[in-house]
Amino acid sequence: MAAFGSGGGGSLTRDAVFRILPQGLTDAAPKTALHVSNAGGLAGSSASKGNAIMASNDNLKPAAAEREAATEAGRRRFLKTAGLASLGAAAGMAIPFHRNLPHGFFPAAMASENGLAGKDGLTLLNDRPLNAETPPELLDDPVTPTVRHFIRNNGLAPDDTSAEGWMLTVDGFTDRPLELSIADLQDRFEVVTLALALECGGNGRAFFDPPASGNQWTYGAVACSEWTGVRLRDVLQAAGVQDNVVYTAHYGADGHLSGDPDKLPISRGLPIAKALTDTVLIAFQMNGADLHPMNGAPLRLVVPGWPGSCSQKWLTRIELRDQVHDGPKMTGTSYRVPAYPVAPGDDVPKEDFRIIERMPVKSLITFPANGAASGMETEVRGHAWSGDRTVDRLDISYDFGASWQAAELDPPANDGAWQNWRATVRFPVAGYYEIWARATDSEGEMQRFAIDWNPKGYLNNRMHRIGLRVS
Amino acid sequence: MPRRLASGTAARPARLRLAAACAALCGTLAQAQAQAPEDSEFGQLVVAEGAEETYYACTACHSEMIIAQQGKTREGWADLLDWMTEEQGMPELDPAERGIILDYLSAHYNTDRPNFPHR
Repeated sequence: MAAFGSGGGGSLTRDAVFRILPQGLTDAAPKTALHVSNAGGLAGSSASKGNAIMASNDNLKPAAAEREAATEAGRRRFLKTAGLASLGAAAGMAIPFHRNLPHGFFPAAMASENGLAGKDGLTLLNDRPLNAETPPELLDDPVTPTVRHFIRNNGLAPDDTSAEGWMLTVDGFTDRPLELSIADLQDRFEVVTLALALECGGNGRAFFDPPASGNQWTYGAVACSEWTGVRLRDVLQAAGVQDNVVYTAHYGADGHLSGDPDKLPISRGLPIAKALTDTVLIAFQMNGADLHPMNGAPLRLVVPGWPGSCSQKWLTRIELRDQVHDGPKMTGTSYRVPAYPVAPGDDVPKEDFRIIERMPVKSLITFPANGAASGMETEVRGHAWSGDRTVDRLDISYDFGASWQAAELDPPANDGAWQNWRATVRFPVAGYYEIWARATDSEGEMQRFAIDWNPKGYLNNRMHRIGLRVS
Repeated sequence: MPRRLASGTAARPARLRLAAACAALCGTLAQAQAQAPEDSEFGQLVVAEGAEETYYACTACHSEMIIAQQGKTREGWADLLDWMTEEQGMPELDPAERGIILDYLSAHYNTDRPNFPHR
């Protein structure tokens, strides 16, 4: 972190960017925001600790032949082992002429453009597995259109996402295990449509300093679409939840990146009390149409207000357990934060991590766009949300937090939806301004000015800011 | 290699203009960008010693785009490789190759994020 704190050339140029484009955009955003939020000394000591440890690998003294072999080893491995397996898995069959594949070539079946068909304006973070977020100004709609809904994948989407023949198993500690087609779900249970906010647990990770592993989401791994489906509660009650059940486990049809059919990319779950609330849906429609293939078609869970990873996509099975689920991404440090506040860069023992449940109070400015030009008066609008709670007030500031004005804040369309807000701002003189937005929820909890750093980069609910040139 | 998608830039002309102004101001940022052309043989990875080993070892399972977003110390990268071999089905790297890859990653994708992707 020395580059940001020590006044070197890089630091100066980044400061210049900061003055012009506070969070600018995409390229300036992570660096400048890190600069602002950094608890510099602590972060710096962590980085140098890491560098000190690099000496351990200098003990390696490979034989000359091994060195020579190493230069081609990666390429061979790519075609021979896991690479071939995952290529084959992606293509859906063996690739007979795999030896003829040129370097860096991937079968057309794996091209990211396929996954982003039916999406518009998303920023691609990663093309395998496919992850894409939505720029804030494209999230301006009160209800998020499917084309604007972010995509978060841990593995490879299944090839066949048609509803026909899709089956959901409900088993574990149930009185009557169920096997249900999507038509069965529609016939046997009340079908409801709810606007439900989903946010990736790592939304805002890009601004962590020191950096945290994973997709570097900025603002746009959040959405609130209308989901149609049946209540998870109704289905679980039909199966009969036994007294010893404490947790659900969710399974989907997506494949592990390694191509190993015995591995799951992700399988998370919920405390049974949350699973039995009335806004958790087993959804088969999104905004009145089939689910987008990358949003989990033909069947998924939608668990509003909790990390998006609770909302298993391509849902095939729900198991009721007498203990906390231990599937991939439930254990270790995945979707967990330390049980106590830590300094940026601290190493935290694994046993001190706790599973994330509700997502914190947060808001987004969706109009104007960051960096836009504005007249002397403008409407400012966006959304606000707080997991399992409502937002009581939304305040905005155009003078770097010195004064605040209340925005008009709508109630949620239903429990679990985000809340839309708007305000009119009149600027005293022409010049450069920042609009800051700050939500306060029904428990009196307010968005933060700075990041509550944690090792895996979750739960960043720092206030959103946009820059405006007013004339 | 159709690796990247224009990220809705047409919808953000104001952003583009400002980004251009920014690039002109920031010599170092522009330079960093130039080192990682989008159509390079190794995708988003900075072309330097070790890029080839890194690219082929890692993209067997996942895109190099996720690598280029990270900022980690050498220790952090080593832990990540261990996790991939122990839990994610990655074949064990031979020690020499592992060293080359860790040298590359810790030189170009350390916590100061000299090559953070420009979206």
